[in-house]
Amino acid sequence: MRYGMRVFVVTLATVVASAAGASSQAPGRTPDRPVVPSVGSPAGWAQCPRCQNESDRSEARARFKVEGHAFNPRDLTGVYYGGEGGNRLFADPPPFTAAGKERFQATLGEKNAAGEYLHTKDTSGQGGGAQVNCDPRGWPRLAAGNYGFEFVMLPDRVLQFFEQTHTWRTIWTDGRKLPDNPPEQRWMGWNVGRWEGNTFIVESSGYDDRSWLSQAQPDGGWPHSDQMRVVERWRRLNYGTVEFQITIIDPEIYTKPWALRPVQVPLVPGTEIWEYFCVPSDFNSFNNDIYLPVATGEKK
Amino acid sequence: MRIPRPSAVAFAVLALVFLVGALTSAHHSRAGYDSAPGKLVTNNGVVSNVIWRNPHVFVVWDVKETSGNVVKWTGELSSPSTMLSEGMSRDTFKAGDPITATFMPAKAGTPHALLIKVVRPDGKVVIDLSERRNLLEQ
Repeated sequence: MRYGMRVFVVTLATVVASAAGASSQAPGRTPDRPVVPSVGSPAGWAQCPRCQNESDRSEARARFKVEGHAFNPRDLTGVYYGGEGGNRLFADPPPFTAAGKERFQATLGEKNAAGEYLHTKDTSGQGGGAQVNCDPRGWPRLAAGNYGFEFVMLPDRVLQFFEQTHTWRTIWTDGRKLPDNPPEQRWMGWNVGRWEGNTFIVESSGYDDRSWLSQAQPDGGWPHSDQMRVVERWRRLNYGTVEFQITIIDPEIYTKPWALRPVQVPLVPGTEIWEYFCVPSDFNSFNNDIYLPVATGEKK
Repeated sequence: MRIPRPSAVAFAVLALVFLVGALTSAHHSRAGYDSAPGKLVTNNGVVSNVIWRNPHVFVVWDVKETSGNVVKWTGELSSPSTMLSEGMSRDTFKAGDPITATFMPAKAGTPHALLIKVVRPDGKVVIDLSERRNLLEQ
């Protein structure tokens, strides 16, 4: 939609919503506040999932007739964004093993001048309070920070693209088995998938143990070993919603499997994945110009 | 005494959960900025640079103090995609634009800021995240 038309639609939607006393604003938005039109995309191109505001999403869901839309429950195709994910997805871990406790202690960083914890051992570049060096976040940590992801279904594999850090993982569906002793450890793991009814089961192993499952609070990160296995259950509940549930099985670190709560993520029609690389030179300037002076008081 | 409706209580609880969640899922800690009520600072200056990059956009503006010294302030916002959703683009500010900036100052005392609101001299509000500070945590 052209920018001018979109502004008109957004403005109209705002007026209608205000007149109706609508209370369906997204959490975190103040209902009485006028909606500022987002910046449109070039003609013929779509906005990125996170480039939309709530009015854009509402308008797109109506335009693409998401409610009640026919769907194939065994087709995950689409761009998804939102849902109640975040680091709190990895809440309430099971008790650590002795080795797990030691690994967790090693993730604890330093405190800043105000005595507040800094996630200084987080090398992914996505943890709060840490300097950034762009080590991959890896899977399943990418599930905890959703800037939008896209499923592409191919005959022998499912690809999941992630806007944040502009990466993807390949889930093989051609019947191959997970290797017992993979020749390399992967940040994304080795992934195979199969359908059980309308549930897409993904199993993975062979992970690089340098990644965290997520940032922990108030400091550090939840660790895993290179023996971790991850089992995921994906379901397309309706055309406009996909649900996933992740279970972490890592007896070297956790005394029992860690079953995360299910998360429902809305389809965001009319969007496309943009480019959010972790660029070392960009992040160096962020570290030097923002992170260090603010965290340490060191003047440039 | 008026008893809150269950739906209102549930909404308040959900809003709190969302806010806490947003705070704990931030890319980068904002602990270095003073978010205490009443600690917001406002100053006037002239934009000298806009850096439109991940992880966060920042605006640099020059503030002339009464002593005549010019202090270069660096104001942090959220990611480019988040700012696009807020109506800000890479062309919104140009070098030489006068602005009034309201922000959380760095606790360390350096001229670094977490920008909350930016207004042009004609009163036009360009950015106002005062009611949606959770966006700055993303």
